[in-house]
Amino acid sequence: MSGWAETALWIVTPYLTLLIFALGLVWRFRYDRFGWTTRSSQLYEHQLLRIASPVFHFGLLFVIVGHVVGLLIPEHWTRAMGITESMYHMSALVVGAIAGTCTLAGIALLIYRRRTTGPVFMATTANDKAMYVVLTAAILAGLLTTLLTSAFGEHDYRHTVSPWFRGIFVFQPDAAAITAAPWPYRLHTAIGMLLLAIFPFTRLVHAFAAPLTYPFRPYIVYRSRSATGGPPLTRRAPRGW
Amino acid sequence: MADVEGDPKAGPIEELLVRTGRFFTRATTSPDLHTVFKAGGREGDAFYRDRWSHDKVVRSTHGVNCTGSCSWKVYVKDGIITWETQETDYPSVGPDRPEYEPRGCPRGAAFSWYTYSPTRVRYPYARGVLVEMYREAKVRLGDPVAAWAEITTDAAKRARYQRARGKAGLIRVTWEEAVEIVAAAHVHTIAAYGPDRIAGFSPIPAMSMVSQAVGARFVSLLGGAMLSFYDWYADLPVASPQVFGDQTDVPESADWVDAAYLMLWGSNVPVTRTPDAHFMAEARYRGQKVVVISPDYSDAVKFADEWLPARPGTDGALGMAMGHVVLREFFVDRPTPRFVDHVKRFTDLPFLVTLHRESDGYVPGRFLTAADLGDGGEGAACKTVLLGRGGRPVVPGGSAGFRWTESGKGRWNLDLPTDPLLSLYGEHARTAEVLLPRFDGEPTALRRGVPVTQVGAHTVTTVFDLLLAQYGVSRPGLPGVWPAGYDDPGQPCTPAWQEAITGVPAARAARIAREFAETAERTGGRCMIILGAGTCQWFHGDTMYRAFLALTMLTGCQGVNGGGWAHYVGQEKCRPFAGWSLLAGALDWGRPPRQIPATPYFYLHTDQWRYDLFDAGRLASPLARGLFAGRHTAELVGRAVRRSWMPMAPMFDRNPLDLGAADDPVGYTLAELGAGRLRYACDDPDDPRNWPRVLTVWRANVLGSSGKGNEYFLEHLLGAGSGLPEPDETAPRGKLDLLLSLDFRMTSTTLYSDVVLPAATWYEKHDLSSTDMHPFVHAFNPAISPPWQARTDFAAFHAIAAAFSELAADRLGVRRDVVAVPYQHDTPSELGAFSDGEEGRGRGGFAIVERDYGAVAAKLAALGPLTEGAGIPVKGVTFQPGEEVAWLGRRNGVAAEGAARGRPLLDTDAAACETILALSGTTNGRLAAQGFAQLSERTGVDLHGLASGETRVTFADTQARPAPVGASPEWSGKEAHDRRYAPFTVNVENGKPWHTLTGRMHFFLDHEWMREYGEALPIYRPPLDLAALGEAGSGEGLLVRYLTPHSKWSIHSEYQDNLLMLTLSRGGPTIWMSPGDAAAIGVTDNEWVEAVNRNGVVVARAVVSLKMPRGTVYMYHVQERVVDVPLSETNGRRGGIHNSLTRLLVKPTHLIGGHAQLSFGFNYFGPTGNQRDEITLIRRRSQEVRYR
Repeated sequence: MSGWAETALWIVTPYLTLLIFALGLVWRFRYDRFGWTTRSSQLYEHQLLRIASPVFHFGLLFVIVGHVVGLLIPEHWTRAMGITESMYHMSALVVGAIAGTCTLAGIALLIYRRRTTGPVFMATTANDKAMYVVLTAAILAGLLTTLLTSAFGEHDYRHTVSPWFRGIFVFQPDAAAITAAPWPYRLHTAIGMLLLAIFPFTRLVHAFAAPLTYPFRPYIVYRSRSATGGPPLTRRAPRGW
Repeated sequence: MADVEGDPKAGPIEELLVRTGRFFTRATTSPDLHTVFKAGGREGDAFYRDRWSHDKVVRSTHGVNCTGSCSWKVYVKDGIITWETQETDYPSVGPDRPEYEPRGCPRGAAFSWYTYSPTRVRYPYARGVLVEMYREAKVRLGDPVAAWAEITTDAAKRARYQRARGKAGLIRVTWEEAVEIVAAAHVHTIAAYGPDRIAGFSPIPAMSMVSQAVGARFVSLLGGAMLSFYDWYADLPVASPQVFGDQTDVPESADWVDAAYLMLWGSNVPVTRTPDAHFMAEARYRGQKVVVISPDYSDAVKFADEWLPARPGTDGALGMAMGHVVLREFFVDRPTPRFVDHVKRFTDLPFLVTLHRESDGYVPGRFLTAADLGDGGEGAACKTVLLGRGGRPVVPGGSAGFRWTESGKGRWNLDLPTDPLLSLYGEHARTAEVLLPRFDGEPTALRRGVPVTQVGAHTVTTVFDLLLAQYGVSRPGLPGVWPAGYDDPGQPCTPAWQEAITGVPAARAARIAREFAETAERTGGRCMIILGAGTCQWFHGDTMYRAFLALTMLTGCQGVNGGGWAHYVGQEKCRPFAGWSLLAGALDWGRPPRQIPATPYFYLHTDQWRYDLFDAGRLASPLARGLFAGRHTAELVGRAVRRSWMPMAPMFDRNPLDLGAADDPVGYTLAELGAGRLRYACDDPDDPRNWPRVLTVWRANVLGSSGKGNEYFLEHLLGAGSGLPEPDETAPRGKLDLLLSLDFRMTSTTLYSDVVLPAATWYEKHDLSSTDMHPFVHAFNPAISPPWQARTDFAAFHAIAAAFSELAADRLGVRRDVVAVPYQHDTPSELGAFSDGEEGRGRGGFAIVERDYGAVAAKLAALGPLTEGAGIPVKGVTFQPGEEVAWLGRRNGVAAEGAARGRPLLDTDAAACETILALSGTTNGRLAAQGFAQLSERTGVDLHGLASGETRVTFADTQARPAPVGASPEWSGKEAHDRRYAPFTVNVENGKPWHTLTGRMHFFLDHEWMREYGEALPIYRPPLDLAALGEAGSGEGLLVRYLTPHSKWSIHSEYQDNLLMLTLSRGGPTIWMSPGDAAAIGVTDNEWVEAVNRNGVVVARAVVSLKMPRGTVYMYHVQERVVDVPLSETNGRRGGIHNSLTRLLVKPTHLIGGHAQLSFGFNYFGPTGNQRDEITLIRRRSQEVRYR
């Protein structure tokens, strides 16, 4: 790849992605709070959903934890904790493969359900379909890297992708580092950025509406009107002309 | 305590979590851990508050053919109609009974969906191939009329667009072009064929009077034919004119509360009278007993104290058996003074009937009249006779002979100069054996004796004596064959006899009859029978009704609050009738209008007559003289037309304007008829000269809803494809040049139309609504302006009229039109057949009406001079609205120029509403008082107090809240703030005669054709055995009775395509059947079935329900072809609608005219488009359905 293309892909795009991601979420929150939802299809079909959704989501949780560990924790930290290279990779491979497979199986089942259940398919928008393509591609590419790592056992992404990733947050993205990674890694990273970029504009935003506080509060919530006034409870009257 | 400290049902972990959560929020958590109190965070409220906020509320209603006539609040936000709720401001009906408010049902509540629905007609459309050819011809010929003439007379071009009907291909056109095509078609038709080749169909004025009237007015100004609807719908109970001489005058629903005993006979009140059903539920708290007679476990049955599941169409037998019990126990065994008094004063039972000697017995003939006694005075042939005390013949006042004669003035009343003899039975009476027909089983004759006497040269008996013979109520000493008792199954009309027919146990039938009569005796007649389509819409529905009405008349229930018949089929009561009829008939500019009974019209023009399986004599009485033997029913239609019994369009095989061009049009017409050069069109309806050419349908859906024999319409009238299994290839295809429809939603009719104009909905115009269910008139108001390019019917017809007048001024000019006039009910001519003989004066009944075709638009928009010049005739009185016309001129303005210069304007729908209200007695007490004054003079009874001259309802009153109407001669009952409306209360309380031959309610109908059909007296006639008559066709499947009752999820076709109602119902076409029938054809619930008979094919899903009786299927009407109708296996074409399996069967006795109450009146008397005798084969079909 030529120099400017490398710069564009691994230096400009990450910031663009983050910008779109952040501003997109703000925009969505301000203008489409009512649409901040997955538009649940549970009413139309629940038998498949009951299996597929947990498989996918719990798989995904482990995948996310894996990414956090793999990308954010430098190798020397783990080594300092006494975890050897082979131990790390073995656990990453086993946990990653299980989690990735669960996620993939989950989304496959979800997509199958979405396509074959008439009412669910009718409730599926073009936006949803595009999102599924990107999400599935990201998962497949991610699994590919895991499998390739195991197949060749040669490449250590903690020397290439991770430094580049951490560099983004200190405004020192190391394009050369990631360029050294094999193509499946770069492909997965690129798709990942795309996924983040479309995130605010798709049903994926429901990730930020996860009901984390539910277990910690009583089930009846009373909200009095704010004593200080606050925003009007009704829409401002239209101009009328 | 545990319940304070925490939820005992919650586990320790949940409790721990919530307890922990308390430390991470400022909100207060209740000690029991159930509740948390937060402040603020309610920004989201704006969403739902906004969802239910609105800018304004507008009163309107639903102009659908439903008796509800419910006033609704329509909500508008940002110029968009959002939803509707029920109005609650109906005037109170008093402290002792339930109120009318709120009224409404889920169907009405779903209406606003239509406003912006995908099915909305937003722009004018026309058939693409037609427009293409029209544009080309117009450019080439330079003239719209010439272009239309060319397209419709060139066989190839004509076939091209006619074959395309119903196959999509409608394209958007401008209003200007659409209106030009329509106007050109009208001009061409009038010039080439005559104005009576133009027809308009728009039913039920009460559901939106102005919208109906404006189009009818346009058609009438042209000389076109307005088609009737009430008889066509088979909602018209023919028994009503036969018995009462009045059409469907019934109590308002609040009067149900007055009833002590309520029978629902073929009426499903909770489903079809939803907003009124609460009165029935609440009346039971007063101790009312409810008996429901219905073949299925209908919704009404749930309200019933007793359910009598009579087999479909056999209700007449049950009615006759009940009559047998009432006559036996309350007249013969123990004469009940109240009943005897009632029938003597208010029925024809004491009147004398002549008996004629036949070979082996006597048969009843005509009523004995004053003429038979040697009276040669005026009207003597129409003055009926009874026997007074001492057996002397007496001619009481009140009969038709006193109604229309100068000498009858002051004597047309129900005063009896003597106590009449009800029966001639006595120890020394002579007896005679009378032959009476019976139709159960193989038709034969019964021999039963009656007491007779001799009056002059005539052997006579009373109607009562004949009635006892007919009902098989024996008296000692009378000869003949009589039932041995109630449990004699062999003789009509015992309870045991009916059990074999209806399936209702004999003892129960007898007990219900006894309860009915006993209650009537003890309450002064407060027993009511609510009748519905389930009994009305049969071929012999009139005989069923007469059996039911007999019960109410014998027990003194008619003319009593809480008693009598209550027929609710169709929103029939246009309370401000006089004003509406004036406007709709354009009677203010020319009289008479062409008003044509639709059943014979469509019977002829859709060629259904060609498919008749039997001649008119097949169903005649076993005692018939053979008048009908070998006669085709269409021949009888022709006979009725020739005798002036009934009008028809077209009338002749020649343009009536050409007849009018002669110096003496009537003389010329008669001469041409006499010479045989001029022929009646109905003698050869398939001659192209006699085809209808232009049909305009608005506020209606003929092809999706009411068109009995739908496939015949498609095949022959329209020339489109049809599902007819064996179309008659010799019959014409494609008679109609133009089918124009105005609608706001796509229906079967619009899909088959050549031009479709986008109409305003009921939330987008001014109009008026009324019903027989409540005594109010209330307004439609526009909540928004018609969106897209929609226009109100009012605006659309004015646009058409303007374009027409411009094209017509030079091409047609001013012409004279020869209009054939039938004998009309409630006019002196109703006695025509008495004075002119049976053959009638057909050759004399003509009127000449001048038509200024260039001035049609101007006349449409102004109230013509005949309003006050000739008055407004209604039911035998004539309103003289001089003052009102002057007031309307000031209120609405007057025309500044043109043909209508100086006349009050009718240029807006609101002005038309104002005019209708000003010119009707119900809404203008001054006119009502005028009418009652005329009646006082005629009857000699003081009726002045019935109407208050002060009552005045203006349009603004109806916009403010539903306005109660006042009593008026337009109707037969009293209206007051302290009593509910019940029919015939004026007759019973004030002695004003009914509009019948005797002036009383009739058991006996002495017309020759009635005798020929064996229906001179109430009788049981079974449903037609169409299987024996060849109707079933051939093929596999189970043969079942095919009924199309009214649906819970729609009002006719309205709402059946509404997404909200589709969601509530199963959605898409369904046929209901019993588990037994379903098992017989291997069908389980929701599977596809195909129903096939001689008339067409229906594809639907089966609803298998325990509520259905075996042998009968229901296809709730009207499930149209617009939702989920797949291709049929039978013919590969799209499955039909409910009416694809039906066909018109014209009953000859409905054609009678010129015979007092048996005279033609528009929507008053005419052949019904009945369809309930239908049968079909039904079978399971491949579950793989294709839609194209």
